[in-house]
Amino acid sequence: MVFSSVVFLFRFLPLFFILYYLVPGRGKNIVLFLGSLFFYAWGEPVYVLLMLFSTVTDYFHGRLLGRFRGKGAAKAILLSSVLVNLTVLCFFKYADFLIQTINSAAGTSFPLLALPLPIGISFYTFQTMSYTIDVYRGEAKVQKNLLDFGVYVAMFPQLIAGPIVKYRDVESRLHNRKAGLEAVSRGMKRFCFGLAKKVLIANNVGELWVTVSEMSLREMSALTAWVGILAFAFQIYFDFSGYSDMAIGLGEMLGFRFPENFNYPYISASVTEFWRRWHISLGSWFREYVYIPLGGNRKGRARQLLNILVVWMLTGIWHGAGWSFLMWGLWFALALVLEKLFLGRLLAWLPKAVGLVYTMLVVLVGWVLFSLETPGQITGYLGVMAGMGGSLADADGFYLARQYGVLFLIAVAAATPLPGRVVGELRKSGTGAAIALYRFGEKVIPAVLLLLAIAGIVDASYNPFLYFRF
Amino acid sequence: MDEKRSAFFTIILLSAILLLFTAADLIQKDRIFSEAENKMLATRPKWSWDALLEGKYTQDYEAYLTEQFVGRDKWITIKTYLDMALQKQEINGVYLGADGYLIEQHLPGAYTDVQETKKLLLLDKLVKRWDAAVMLVPTADNILTDRMPYWAPYYDQAAFLEKAAVQIGADHYIDVYSALRSHSGEEIYYRTDHHWTTLGAWYGYQAWTKFMGRRGDLYSKNAMKAVTSEFLGTLQSKVNLDVQPDSIFWFPETAGRPVTVTYDLKDTRNSCYEESYLAGKNKYGFFLDDNHALVEIETDYHNGKTLFVIKDSYANCFVPLLIPYYEKIYVMDLRFFNGRLFRFMESYEPEGGMDVLVLYNCIHFLEDFIYLE
Repeated sequence: MVFSSVVFLFRFLPLFFILYYLVPGRGKNIVLFLGSLFFYAWGEPVYVLLMLFSTVTDYFHGRLLGRFRGKGAAKAILLSSVLVNLTVLCFFKYADFLIQTINSAAGTSFPLLALPLPIGISFYTFQTMSYTIDVYRGEAKVQKNLLDFGVYVAMFPQLIAGPIVKYRDVESRLHNRKAGLEAVSRGMKRFCFGLAKKVLIANNVGELWVTVSEMSLREMSALTAWVGILAFAFQIYFDFSGYSDMAIGLGEMLGFRFPENFNYPYISASVTEFWRRWHISLGSWFREYVYIPLGGNRKGRARQLLNILVVWMLTGIWHGAGWSFLMWGLWFALALVLEKLFLGRLLAWLPKAVGLVYTMLVVLVGWVLFSLETPGQITGYLGVMAGMGGSLADADGFYLARQYGVLFLIAVAAATPLPGRVVGELRKSGTGAAIALYRFGEKVIPAVLLLLAIAGIVDASYNPFLYFRF
Repeated sequence: MDEKRSAFFTIILLSAILLLFTAADLIQKDRIFSEAENKMLATRPKWSWDALLEGKYTQDYEAYLTEQFVGRDKWITIKTYLDMALQKQEINGVYLGADGYLIEQHLPGAYTDVQETKKLLLLDKLVKRWDAAVMLVPTADNILTDRMPYWAPYYDQAAFLEKAAVQIGADHYIDVYSALRSHSGEEIYYRTDHHWTTLGAWYGYQAWTKFMGRRGDLYSKNAMKAVTSEFLGTLQSKVNLDVQPDSIFWFPETAGRPVTVTYDLKDTRNSCYEESYLAGKNKYGFFLDDNHALVEIETDYHNGKTLFVIKDSYANCFVPLLIPYYEKIYVMDLRFFNGRLFRFMESYEPEGGMDVLVLYNCIHFLEDFIYLE
C-alpha cells in the first residue's frame, strides 16, 4: 500500500488508528503488527512471507547472540545473520543482474529468474542487520519478545521506503510508548506536509520529467535537457523526502521518534555536505556498519580513499541492480575523494555560491546516471546538456519552462529552509497579530494541503512509486 | 495550555477531514458512468485467491476506490483549478488557448513517417480506383496558431498534407488547409469542442465547389442561423471547467426542399438534422443524427448525380451543404463497417458512375482510416 492513495487515506488509516487508540496497553503492539502485515500484504501478498522469514531468523539470531555473548560462537552467529540477510537481498535483487553480467562477459545464456523485487527489501534487511550487529557489539539489548521485534521490522510507516531506523533508535519505545496530544498533532501536520510534497510537487514535476525523457535526443535542445533533469532532481527529492516526512509523522502519531532523513540537501556547498543532508539514515548506516569497520579514516589517507570507494559502490548498487547505479555511486566517490584531497579546502576558500553551483552540477549529472538506463542514453543526454545537441534552446524548451515555471519556483523555495525560517520569525516576533496568524496558519495550512493532495490523488493520472526498484 | 489547545484543534480538524470523507465515501453508491469524464468507471473487483496472489485484486480494488471516490468530479475540478493557479496552459491533453479556446493537443512525433505513409498508400489505392476527391481537414491547433499558448508543440499537419498532396496528386487533393488558414481569425472551430464549426465547413465547401468546378454561391454565410447557444463539447468535458458555451449554426436553405434520409438501412426520416440532440449533451449530433455506419440521403434535385462520402464526424456538418448538388448521397463511416469496401461501393454505383469524396480531419484519418478492399 502506498501512503498517497485512496485506500490508505480513507480505509486503512482511519480504521487502523481508531483500533490503535482504542485498544489499551500491550494490545497496541498486536494492532500495529497485524495492521502492518495487512499493509504490506496488500502490495505483496506473497512476499509478506519473506519479510516474516527475515524477522523470525533475525529474532533467533539475536537470542543466540545473547546466549553466546563474548564467546567465540558469537562471531559465527553474527556471520550467519549477515549471510542470511545478504543472501536474501542478493537473490531477490541482484541475481538477474549477476546472470546478465556473466552472460554478456562469458557469452553464456543462463536464463534470467525474472523475479519481481519485493517492496522494501533493501530497507528491512538493513534494519534487521543493524539489530544483530548492535546486539553483537553490545550496543543493543537482546529483544526477547517476538511481537516487539516484529513491530520493529514490520511497522508500516517506515517499512517500505525508510527512514532506515536502527534498532537502538527505537528500542526503548518498542515495548511501551505514549503519544501525547502534541506529538500526535505534530505527527499529523508532518504527514500532511509530506503528502503535499509527494502529490503536489513530486508527481507534477515527475510528469515533466516523463515528457522530457520520452523525447528524442536528436531533436532535444540544451534548455529542454536542463529543465528535464532539474524536474527529475525535484521529483526524487520531494518524492523521497515527502515519503520520509509521512513516515516520521505517522511514527509520531504512534509514539515513536524516527531519525530525520533529509536536511535540505540542495543547499549544500559541497558533495560531502550533500551526502550529510541526503538520505541521512542510509548514509549513517553505511558509515557505521561498513565505512568505520573498514577502518574509516584511521588507517591512513590511501586506505580512507579506498574505503570511500567501496562504500559508494555499495551505496550505488543499493539503489538498484544495474551498471548505471554503480556508475552513479562511483561518480560521487570521485567527487568525495577529490574533495578530501584538495577540492574541499578550495571550496571553503571560494565564495559559497561557487560551492552551491558546483554541488548542483555534480548532483544533476548524478541524476542523469541514476535516471537513465543505457550508456548511450546517458552520454547522449549529457551531451545535449553540454550544448552538443541540436540547439541551445528551442520552442519545446521554452514551452516546458513556461508551463512548469511557477511550480519550479515553489519547489526551489520548498527545498530551502526559507519557509521554515519565515514561520519561525513570525512566531518569535511576539506581536499579537503575528502570533494569531501563526496559530491560524499552523492549523489551516496542513488542512488545505491535505485537501489539495486528495484532489491530486483522486485525479491521479500520474502517481508512481519510485522505490519499487530500491 | 495554549499549545495543548492548539494541538487538540489541529487533530480534530485533520481527523475530521479524513473521517468525514471516509464516511461519505462508504455511504455513497457506486456510479456506472461518468458524464464529466465520458467514461465507464471501474467496478468492484471480483474476489478470488488467484487474483489476490497475482496482486491483481488489490490493484483493481485501488482503481475501483479511486474512480468511485465520493465527489470525484469536484476533486478533479479542484485539481484543474490548482493547475491553472500554477499557470499551466495544458490540462488533460487540452490547451487553454486565448479568447476562451480549448484546443485539443496532438504532439509532434505522435505519428511516424511509416504510419503516415501507410495511411496515404491506403488512401491512394481508393483514390485511384474511384477517382476520388480528398478533403483532409487540419485540426484547430494547426490553424488557430495565434490562439495557442506560446511555444506550444503541435503535430505539423501542413507537412503531412504536403505529403498527402504529392501522394494522391493535385487532381484529387482539395486544399482545405489554405482555405481555413486564410480565415483563421474567424469562428471556424468550436471553443469547447474538437470539431470545425458550420462556418469552417462552409469554407471547406467553398474549396470543394472551386475544385469541382461547381457553383459556390448557393449559400451566403450571413444566412447561417443558430440552433443553440449552449453547446459544451468534448474538450470542455476533458477539462471540466466553467467556460462560455458555443453556438451551433446551420444553413436553413439546406432544408428548403424535402429529403429522405435513411440511417443504417432501416431508420427513415425526412431531415438530415435531428433537433432532439439539442436538448442533450452531445449537441453536435444534431448533424446527421450523430454517427452511423451508412447514411443514405435522397434529395429533391433530380439531376441523376450520386455522391459516395467516406468520412469521419467532421463531415456531419459539411455533407448537408452538398444536398443541392446530388440526387443521392451515401455517407459511410468506416469505423462501423467491416465488410469489403470496394465491393460494397460497387453495389451502390449507378450505371453512369458516381463521385467519391473522402473527408476526414487529419488526426482521425491517421487514427481511423482503414478498410478492406
